[in-house]
Amino acid sequence: MVDVSQHELVPEHIPIEGAELDSVLEEYGLDRTDLPEIKANDPALPEEAETGDVIKIVRDSRTADTSISYRLVVE
Amino acid sequence: MSMQTPKQLGGIDFGLMDPETYRDISATKVITADTYDDDGYPIDMGLMDPRLGVIDPGLECRTCGQHSGSCPGHFGHIELAAPVIHVGFTTLIRRLLRATCRECGRLTLTEMEMEEYREELDRAEDLGKDPDTVLKAAVRQARKAGSCPHCAEPQADIKHEKPTTYYEVQNVLSGEYSEIIAEAMQPDEDDEDDEGMSPQALSDETGIPLDRINQILGGEFRPRDDGRRALEKALDVDLTEEDMNKLMPSDIRDWFEQIPDSDIEVLGIDAEGSRPEWMIMTVLPVPPVTARPSITLDNGQRSEDDLTHKLVDIIRINQRFMENREAGAPQLIIEDLWELLQYHVTTFVDNEISGTPPARHRSGRPLKTLSQRLKGKEGRFRGSLSGKRVNFSARTVISPDPTLSLNEVGVPDRVASEMTITINVTDRTLEEAKQYVANGPETHPGANYVKRPDGRRLKVTEKNCEELATKIDAGWEVNRHLIDGDIVIFNRQPSLHRMSIMAHEVVVMPYKTFRLNTTVCPPYNADFDGDEMNMHALQTEESRAEARVLMRVQEQILSPRFGENIIGAIQDHISGTYLLTHDNPHFTETQALDLLRATQVDELPEPDGEDETGPYWTGRTVFSLLLPDGLDLEFDSSAGDTVIIEDGHHLQGTIDEDAVGAFGGEIVDTIVKQYSETRARVFINEVAALAMRAIMHFGFSIGIDDESIPPVADEQVDEAIDNAYGRIDELIETYRAGDLESLPGRTVDETLEMKIMQTLGKARDSAGEIAEDHFADDNPAVVMARSGARGSMLNLTQMAGCVGQQAVRGERINRGYEDRTLAHYEPNDLSAEAHGFVENSYRGGLTPREFFFHAMGGREGLVDTAVRTSKSGYLQRRLINALSELEVQYDGTVRDTSDRVVQFEFGEDGTSPVKVSSSEDFEVDVEGITDRVLDAEFDNDSEKEAFLTPSESPTNLSEHTDTALSSEVESDD
Repeated sequence: MVDVSQHELVPEHIPIEGAELDSVLEEYGLDRTDLPEIKANDPALPEEAETGDVIKIVRDSRTADTSISYRLVVE
Repeated sequence: MSMQTPKQLGGIDFGLMDPETYRDISATKVITADTYDDDGYPIDMGLMDPRLGVIDPGLECRTCGQHSGSCPGHFGHIELAAPVIHVGFTTLIRRLLRATCRECGRLTLTEMEMEEYREELDRAEDLGKDPDTVLKAAVRQARKAGSCPHCAEPQADIKHEKPTTYYEVQNVLSGEYSEIIAEAMQPDEDDEDDEGMSPQALSDETGIPLDRINQILGGEFRPRDDGRRALEKALDVDLTEEDMNKLMPSDIRDWFEQIPDSDIEVLGIDAEGSRPEWMIMTVLPVPPVTARPSITLDNGQRSEDDLTHKLVDIIRINQRFMENREAGAPQLIIEDLWELLQYHVTTFVDNEISGTPPARHRSGRPLKTLSQRLKGKEGRFRGSLSGKRVNFSARTVISPDPTLSLNEVGVPDRVASEMTITINVTDRTLEEAKQYVANGPETHPGANYVKRPDGRRLKVTEKNCEELATKIDAGWEVNRHLIDGDIVIFNRQPSLHRMSIMAHEVVVMPYKTFRLNTTVCPPYNADFDGDEMNMHALQTEESRAEARVLMRVQEQILSPRFGENIIGAIQDHISGTYLLTHDNPHFTETQALDLLRATQVDELPEPDGEDETGPYWTGRTVFSLLLPDGLDLEFDSSAGDTVIIEDGHHLQGTIDEDAVGAFGGEIVDTIVKQYSETRARVFINEVAALAMRAIMHFGFSIGIDDESIPPVADEQVDEAIDNAYGRIDELIETYRAGDLESLPGRTVDETLEMKIMQTLGKARDSAGEIAEDHFADDNPAVVMARSGARGSMLNLTQMAGCVGQQAVRGERINRGYEDRTLAHYEPNDLSAEAHGFVENSYRGGLTPREFFFHAMGGREGLVDTAVRTSKSGYLQRRLINALSELEVQYDGTVRDTSDRVVQFEFGEDGTSPVKVSSSEDFEVDVEGITDRVLDAEFDNDSEKEAFLTPSESPTNLSEHTDTALSSEVESDD
């Protein structure tokens, strides 16, 4: 099986928690349910990610070098 | 005019309405199906009862006492003789019937399951998901229950016959139960061990006394449910049959009344605001008369609204129903009337229900009832609320005027004196306002209306204008004509992007068309073959300011679609600059000044040199006069050379589409980004003016002879095509011999087709090359194609060389007769000419067969564009509906209306596409911009230096020791 998470076009998906998560939610004034979502069975997710986790996605960008977004893992 | 006090809405609740509320808000009960009596007065308790509001002028509303116009109308009600189902809720009714117990009305879910769905509902709300999916899941789960977990009653399946009939499907004891039992007691013939079952054994196994068993076998006793189940178990047979029991609306209402509030909430229904039994109507609200006004026809006859017609039907049937029931009519008649009442109420709500014949007007036209008023493009939402007709607008044909600035629009004088702008008269505008009014409505800068401080509006006429002008004073309002310099909004449909609506400054002109500068055609996608455009006059000072700052054409030069200019030189402008700069021709002083006469340049630089006619200036020097000082650029032009601009001097290269064209002309793009919108507007205007002068200087025309090539070339083309025919014949021969090798992934047939297409493509290309070789560089068609003004070399090839292969669906033409395209060919002819290859050129003329094939290919193109526009229009509508509520917030995130994040940074980089460089090769010269700004700001270097050196003023020093400050103060003196 191909592990898509290793593909160069798939951006990094990193689960975040604790203080880092709190600071993100604080920065944007959000509940975690206000985040965009990602399906738990999305092949880009790392193994350990579970429903309810928040994932940080770091994408390459021509204009902004990297662009960071966050998603909530849902069923 | 009295104004009502403004009121604020606290909120809007969507839900069902309690029938009691209907009765409470009702102004009157309606019992008479008639509208007006013989004298033309509305009948009391009829459909036009004066308590329901007034529409006839002069009458007084019996509910609110107001006259027509100010009376909003009031609801009445009809007491329905029997409950009927509201068609809008048939699916919800079906779901509730399936999910609740027929006996106790409770949801057939265990407490644990209910808790689960409550949680899921909360989760759905948190995540902003549709609670309807939870309801569906809960209903599916509840439907599985065979019997009620609360009262153990077995549940029947519910069958829904659209639109409004429900059946309960129950298993009842079959009529032939005794036969089935007797049959099952017989020994099985195929099985020798089976001895059958005696009545005694059956009695022992089921626990039913022997004599009862005998009675059952004799058909004298019908076993009860538990007895039946015991018999079924013992004999392994099915003693039941399906029975359809129709549920009348009154049954359903009784059923729903039993459902406890707490159980409905599991399904996501707010029981407080929406009890399920309210979906079964017992009372029908009668819309106010103002919502269904009757029209008086020319012959004095009254014509009633469709809704009124429908209400008449309902009341008639309702009346008949009651009379029949009181008279004790048979059940069958009552049920028929009940169904008829249901039909009328259903069509009153929605007259486009599938499976129900629509109610029709006497003329046979289907009635437009409640749903039809709201639905669809002309419905209340899309037709009256999202879009409506407006005042202060004008529409006429557009035509070009190259003397206008791109910011301007030429407005016909008759439009300018019909459309007005409101000015508030103050001490400062008094004289001006008086002059407008004094001019009257027919002299151009005049006025059409004035408004006195007491709110009274007066029409300015030729007769009263002089007198009115003397009365005008501060506090009045004057509606004056549009004058030069006013800002208006200009629009061309379809409004596909924001540049389809831009603000222009008015220039009042004679004749009947709107005039615009040709450079604004691309953003509007306009041409002058009969296009019409709309103009809107702005009515408030705020809107005018906003339009001037945000919407003016020069602010829209850059398109957010691709971040480059969408306004720039087009067509002849590009040919003009090409002619001016390509061969860098020489001009005498008179010629050079003539080229520049339409620009603001009125002085020539030092001449570039001297020839036999005296001093001369080159085309590039003339063009350089339009460039801003300090501009440095280097890029490749589409004409194939490198353009070099240094410090605002055009040194080398051809100015063509890539330099000044709309859709990403490099010079225009750079000027907007590094200088200003105003500078870019001036540049585009002047390039257009210069280019027109240039093209007129050289003369530019095109005729059929410009596309002809010498006979030698014609022969070469024929030879190239003949060669191709030869190769194709070879290919076909190989194919027929079975020797053609197929390409990977293709059949032999496909390979042959491909190779033929390739060969013919090459033939056309070489024909093109031959033709191209014989065109002079100053051939107008070549100039247009090379500069990017219009047309391509391919167009030229087709005109002069060979039109080439015609295709339908990307293949050679293969349709028509059996095994051949036309009756002119042998069956299975694979040759080029039999499948749509056009070897002639457009100029040389097509043969009839070629013409026919060409029409086939052309037709496909037309159909494709027609289909594409409608498809993409619908796609765009859906995209806009989905995205219209997204908004960039002050923190840079993009969110929807419920504050859920869509993007954490606008566009994932937080940049505006019009503020960044158009490609990686061109950087916006930020330092150059700062230098220029600083140079303009400060008179000398020392001031600039002082501004730029970071000044650190001490803040923590005591006043007594603060020498630095005091010395500064002293030095100032």
